[in-house]
Amino acid sequence: MDSGAGAVEHITIEAGPLTGVEPDLLARAFEVLRASSHATAHASLSIESPAVIIRCTHCRKESPTAPNRLVCPLCGDFRTRVMAGDELRLRRVALRIP
Amino acid sequence: MCQTCGCSLNADVAREGMEEQLGRSVVIDVLQDLLAANDRVALHNREHFDEHGVLAINLMSSPGAGKTALLEATIVALGERYRIAVIEGDLETENDALRIRALGVPALQITTGTACHLDAQLVHRALHDLPLSGLDLLFIENVGNLVCPASFDLGQHRNVTLLSVTEGDDKPAKYPVMFRACDLVVLSKIDLLGVLDDFDPERAAAALRALGRDTPMIQTAARRVPAIAAWLNWLEQQMIERRSVVPAVPTRMAATAGA
Repeated sequence: MDSGAGAVEHITIEAGPLTGVEPDLLARAFEVLRASSHATAHASLSIESPAVIIRCTHCRKESPTAPNRLVCPLCGDFRTRVMAGDELRLRRVALRIP
Repeated sequence: MCQTCGCSLNADVAREGMEEQLGRSVVIDVLQDLLAANDRVALHNREHFDEHGVLAINLMSSPGAGKTALLEATIVALGERYRIAVIEGDLETENDALRIRALGVPALQITTGTACHLDAQLVHRALHDLPLSGLDLLFIENVGNLVCPASFDLGQHRNVTLLSVTEGDDKPAKYPVMFRACDLVVLSKIDLLGVLDDFDPERAAAALRALGRDTPMIQTAARRVPAIAAWLNWLEQQMIERRSVVPAVPTRMAATAGA
């Protein structure tokens, strides 16, 4: 491994509700996958699921909302931007130094 | 908590790991998109399409919403004016590709085995066997599924989702990821509306608007007496828009438009 580390201890993933990824199912798949390499055999996984937050381009306010309710709850405008809840990324990795 | 299935394991191990191993472990912030590898190949596919002046459309829906039937009617209507090809995604069988080829249009079947969606790599591999030269329109008919296909960029220019009136009109509320990902919703099998008393196109449109998008919704009937004018108009509009972004190459489309 590039960092000279011996094994992966912990992996943190962010998977928002708007990605379509089910954290429970991903955790179960990880149990199977981690056995495929010595480096990850003892790794653990945590999945953060950020709440859906939208920002209205009309009233400019941010609001938490449901994944299937993305119109502005304050002014009703549909022109909103998703600020959080659609991320699917590898957040951080903890590696053991041999 | 339950100890057998491991559901309580992760948090505990993580905490112990952080505290006990602190001197011997290193935590690295990565912040890498998990779909980065797919997105890179998708970008490559898109460059490939643009190079050949091809408009690529990713067709998605639940199984049986009428994707292949819509393509058949589209080929009959536009086949003389535009050169069309189709990539078909299914778990098994060549059936859909055979239906398309029967109309004289090249169709490449990807059988995904157990995979419930196409990804950029599968499409990329298919492109090696599908010459794009001279094509105007490439349809990628995704695996029938309203969940996973929404998450994978294939390199298409437009995503289209079919919602047949034999399904529930609350589908956009049930599958927000899919209906947020599309550029057009096609209400298909609209000719059956008369015998169905539980599908209201207005309710479907309201559920779609609730996703914070002004995605257009059009109606089609592809079998018996095809009524797909709105769909054909939309397609031609997209082709014109693509041509204004990507320099036109001499094809039939450019010739008919006088460009």
